Amino acid sequence: MTIKRLLAVVACAGLLAPQAWAAEKIEFWTFSMKPKFTPYFNAVVARYEAQNPGVKIEWIDFPWDVIQTKLVTRIVAGTPPALVSLNVPWADEFARDGLLTPVDGLIAEARASYIPSALADLRFKGGTYGFPMYSNVAVIAFNTAIFKQAGLTRGPASLDEQLAFARQIAQRTGKAGIAPALSKIDGLFMQQGLAVITNNRAVFNSPQHVALVQKLADTYKVGGLLKESLFAEDNFPAVIDAYKGGRLGMLLAPPTAMQRIRGDAKDIYAITDVAPAPLGPTGIADGGWLVHFAIPKGVPARLLPSVGKFARFLTNDANQLAFARQASVFPTTVKAAADPFFLSTPQNAGAAEKAVAAGALSMNHSRTLYVAGIDDYDELRRSLVKAVEAGVTGKQNVQQALDQAVAIWNRKLATLPRH
Amino acid sequence: MMKLAHRHTLQAWLFLAPALLLLAAFSFWPVGYGSVLAFTDYSLIRETRFVGLDNFRYIFNNEMFVSGLKNSLMFLLMVPFVQVGAITLAVLVNNRLPGIRLFRAAFYVPVVTTVSVVGIMWGFMFHEQGALNYVMMTLKLVNAPVGWLSNDSLALFAVMFVTLWRGLGWYMVMYLAALQSIPSDMQEAAMLDGASRWQRFWKITVPMLRPTIMLCSILSVLAALKAYQEVDVLTQGGPMNSTFTALYYAYDQGLKHLKLPRALAASFVVSLFCIAIALLCLRYLKPKHR
Repeated sequence: MTIKRLLAVVACAGLLAPQAWAAEKIEFWTFSMKPKFTPYFNAVVARYEAQNPGVKIEWIDFPWDVIQTKLVTRIVAGTPPALVSLNVPWADEFARDGLLTPVDGLIAEARASYIPSALADLRFKGGTYGFPMYSNVAVIAFNTAIFKQAGLTRGPASLDEQLAFARQIAQRTGKAGIAPALSKIDGLFMQQGLAVITNNRAVFNSPQHVALVQKLADTYKVGGLLKESLFAEDNFPAVIDAYKGGRLGMLLAPPTAMQRIRGDAKDIYAITDVAPAPLGPTGIADGGWLVHFAIPKGVPARLLPSVGKFARFLTNDANQLAFARQASVFPTTVKAAADPFFLSTPQNAGAAEKAVAAGALSMNHSRTLYVAGIDDYDELRRSLVKAVEAGVTGKQNVQQALDQAVAIWNRKLATLPRH
Repeated sequence: MMKLAHRHTLQAWLFLAPALLLLAAFSFWPVGYGSVLAFTDYSLIRETRFVGLDNFRYIFNNEMFVSGLKNSLMFLLMVPFVQVGAITLAVLVNNRLPGIRLFRAAFYVPVVTTVSVVGIMWGFMFHEQGALNYVMMTLKLVNAPVGWLSNDSLALFAVMFVTLWRGLGWYMVMYLAALQSIPSDMQEAAMLDGASRWQRFWKITVPMLRPTIMLCSILSVLAALKAYQEVDVLTQGGPMNSTFTALYYAYDQGLKHLKLPRALAASFVVSLFCIAIALLCLRYLKPKHR
């Protein structure tokens, strides 16, 4: 009797097994989404699984600073996730090392739904390497009380005006005007239409580059730039603290920052107004930072159509819109970006709502600015930042400091293969 | 007799075996394998090739590593201060005074506090709007806030100070233990012979502390050369790379940029410095038994 029962169980299992094996498992990774967005991703996963019986979705979230290492080890081990969330510089590096799969064939019919500038950010080596998910763009928040005291009535319309306003604020109020992230000076150069590298040679010691750094130095000298963490890799915590403490006139930050001000410093939030961040001569908005889903190398070819389908679902209009509304970031699909939530400002809107609208105006001009294709780029960038720091703080003549950094770059660039 | 000796040896090895196995797996093997990889172009995504001294040439031609090595050697400057400070504290808290246990605990608190907490706390203290500047400006010692962590001439010393502050309690406890193991009859005999407090300190306490001084100095030298956690939390190597240490360079290259061979070469060089300086300490600080 027992043996018969056992045989029956084995037979049933045998009949059911092919169905179980047929279930496709799609593992996707995000970075730094838990716990705030756990309900959002759980809901997306549940919806997709309900619409696609037989597909099992597994969501894993890593802290942003370990996801690259985890990804490389999983690719090398031959067990990569089906989809991974990356930013553009990471994707560029992975694509150059041959660790990502181009998605042109999988994105095909959905291509028109994404904002062209977002897709342009993901184009490397002649292919498209990801499904755009969301992007960010900076706005300028300003303390109206400090502005009034300094005799200013509106937000700045150009970088020159930002620095001029900052000097005026410092001279009339004794407070810092602005806190640019000077550790990302390479991005600022590019946004201002000044090349960093041309024909594999560093060119950031031209008169235009020197003039820009000199303007920063002049502003620094009169106290217009916030000195705290001015050249730190991440100066945002210091900058937002200074703004919340009423020690900073202007804050160049993504709209999410307004929510932090609203939560932490209600008095400052009440006197905060918002303006779109000035576009540089390139027409590119400050603070663009695209996040997307890429397909790592080694994902089995038979699984790719399903992975593509899920990636398009993850990044479709409805899901991007829902995520962007929750996260105060901007969607990268044309339809979601045109949603009234982003474009209309309600009556009696606070700085947070105004920031969303101001950012949406810049979204079509949002690009991720970075120097691509250079091995050890971070090390080169540090020598540039060091030179800019020496020039801005008056420790060295700006031209000399930039000349020295250019010499260091060119020695290094001469030894690197061209990409 | 011989058999018994063999049995004792075998027993000793058996007792040592678990610890040796753990050490072999988590210390000896990684150190040995890492040292070998320092001479290769090891990468997770490419086939590994032997490249000889290329990684060492690279790091010694690299401004950040060279200045990091100089900064690591600068950290050695604080070793005498840590040791003298720890001995002084140990002598002070060795007295039977009311509330002395509280003082001992207070000095030991930084040792058991994590680097992150220490870093955040000193970050607040050193901030331009922080407590230190507030006190100094209130006392009219300075006219404007001092950029303890933002001035490239000061930042390294600020980080060194935090490292020194954290180390004091640890060495104090070691010296305190050593002080309490000095037989009291020696001090009493010297007192009967009319030796002053100062004479007793130099003629009895210091010589008896010498093995501990040697051990603590070596540990302190190694800790100084390996400094990186405080750098990471307080300055991330800035401003103007002025607080980059050799080991922070290794961490930066290895874990942030996945350039493992360079990181291993940098660690290898730091290890050689550690061994050389530890040998010097052993040579010159070793107690001379007469």
